[in-house]
Amino acid sequence: MSADMRTILAIETSCDDTCAAVVTEDGVVHSNLIASQMDHDRFGGVVPEVASRRHLELLDGVVGAALADADVSLAEVDAVAATRGPGLIGALLVGFSYAKALASTAGLPLVPVDHLQGHVSANFLHPSVFDPPFVCLVASGGHTFLARVEQRHGYEILGATTDDAAGEAFDKGARLLGLGYPGGAALDQLASTGDANAIDFPRTYVGDLDFSFSGIKTSLLYKLKALPDGDFESAKADLAASYQSAVVEMLVKRIEQAVQRTGIDRVAIGGGVAANSLLRRRVTELGVEVKVPPRSLCTDNAAMIGSAAFAISPLQPGQYSELDAYPSGSPIAV
Amino acid sequence: MSELAIDTATAACAVALRVNGQTFCHAPAPGRMLERPAHAKELLPAIEGLCSESRTDLAELSAIAVGIGPGAFTGLRIGVSTARAIATANGLGLVPVSSLETLVAGGGTERTVIAMIDARRNEIFYRVGEGPDSLATPAETLSLARDAVARGPVLAVGDGALKIREQLLEVGADVPPSDDDRHVVSGSVMLDIAASRTTLAPEGVTPNYIRAPDAKVSSRESWLVESGAK
Ligand SMILES: [Zn+2]
Repeated sequence: MSADMRTILAIETSCDDTCAAVVTEDGVVHSNLIASQMDHDRFGGVVPEVASRRHLELLDGVVGAALADADVSLAEVDAVAATRGPGLIGALLVGFSYAKALASTAGLPLVPVDHLQGHVSANFLHPSVFDPPFVCLVASGGHTFLARVEQRHGYEILGATTDDAAGEAFDKGARLLGLGYPGGAALDQLASTGDANAIDFPRTYVGDLDFSFSGIKTSLLYKLKALPDGDFESAKADLAASYQSAVVEMLVKRIEQAVQRTGIDRVAIGGGVAANSLLRRRVTELGVEVKVPPRSLCTDNAAMIGSAAFAISPLQPGQYSELDAYPSGSPIAV
Repeated sequence: MSELAIDTATAACAVALRVNGQTFCHAPAPGRMLERPAHAKELLPAIEGLCSESRTDLAELSAIAVGIGPGAFTGLRIGVSTARAIATANGLGLVPVSSLETLVAGGGTERTVIAMIDARRNEIFYRVGEGPDSLATPAETLSLARDAVARGPVLAVGDGALKIREQLLEVGADVPPSDDDRHVVSGSVMLDIAASRTTLAPEGVTPNYIRAPDAKVSSRESWLVESGAK
């Protein structure tokens, strides 16, 4: 690692993944550790108190491993970055308190990072750096929004979900189809064996460029309830394929409209939903330049937080001691 | 020699720094216990303040003790996470100390001390003298206090004791008024306790929650439960 290059240790604990990473300002990811918490499966969702407890158990090990994997010591780090919000407040505070105290003790600057900015900034990392301007869709189990990105810090929200996140729509659909939680990947797989035109699902378009997924999930629930006994197994794949196709179509339609509206024909996709094979395929069919970071940079991770940190002026020791985390809102979105 | 103690089990953010035998304390007014906790904003400035007051470098500590509760979960984690990071950056281990044990020790040795920390939901974390840290309803802790009074004089301290102060007085226990320092965890007393305790690896120090986590799922999945699909 070059000595004249700024190096950041980043920490992310906004939901149920305990993450730490080391990145340099050239966008190279030297380590990117993600400890996924599996404890939530049996509850069918993220339990905030369980997530916070696990973060505390895992964090030291994950931070230590991120430094070791990158072959750097804390003394060689130039700044500590951490997610300040939005997210589960108890979970955020584990990582944010740790980052503040670690930076203060080591005499390092701290860069508080907005989680959503992190998803946008994942595009500035190797192996394929994608520079603004671009239209960015971030769709995960926790958030779904469309942004216009003109520089490396800040973005303009063009549209956002008014109810569920797209990832929730997939996870809930998967759960209704008996595929467990989180079932996005299983739904994707089952859908590939079904007919996407077999069953009609409603497409909902709200606001200007906003999203709504509550109607489609209710529709799936009613279709399942109306299904005659014994027909479930044979209808499952078609339901999955048709449901997935409808959700993806709603996302792609909004991307297409955002491209038209902004005149920016470059599109980046992030968040866990970016792993969906149909979404990836349909977006490439739009005839615009498309960037989808590798999966490890799409789902929640700390490398993206480190990437965002390079475009934010760091707070010096003494300036960040009183900083609190925030559960909702995004103070840096313009 | 510079030793740091942190406790965030209650709304009062207790920090002490002992440098060559001289103790510097951040001790919030007892009334703070009845307010909303603000550890995220208060803890690190308090630690840094004591360091500059005592001209100690936070990176040159020789020992760190941390209160592991029981108490409010989020506050506890802020304290433990902060202590772990400071320990890790110093290459040190951590000494976990029960927050109830510190309260009991702060109550002196003449009487049986019952320490109580408000556990909300009409429950109280408590410890009788050298007994174990436990959880009970106010009625149960009152009957414990009554039994203890039958054996000798009793002092009850902590924000949990203030919650049921009138009833405790009725059964014969002494409860100091709400502005008494003995109701607040003392960082200085913690340092005394920690002096004879084993140091653990930072990642091995976790809060003593006592209560299991609520299996309440965040908004993500609540719809399924409501819809009866689950
Ligand atoms: Zn996210």
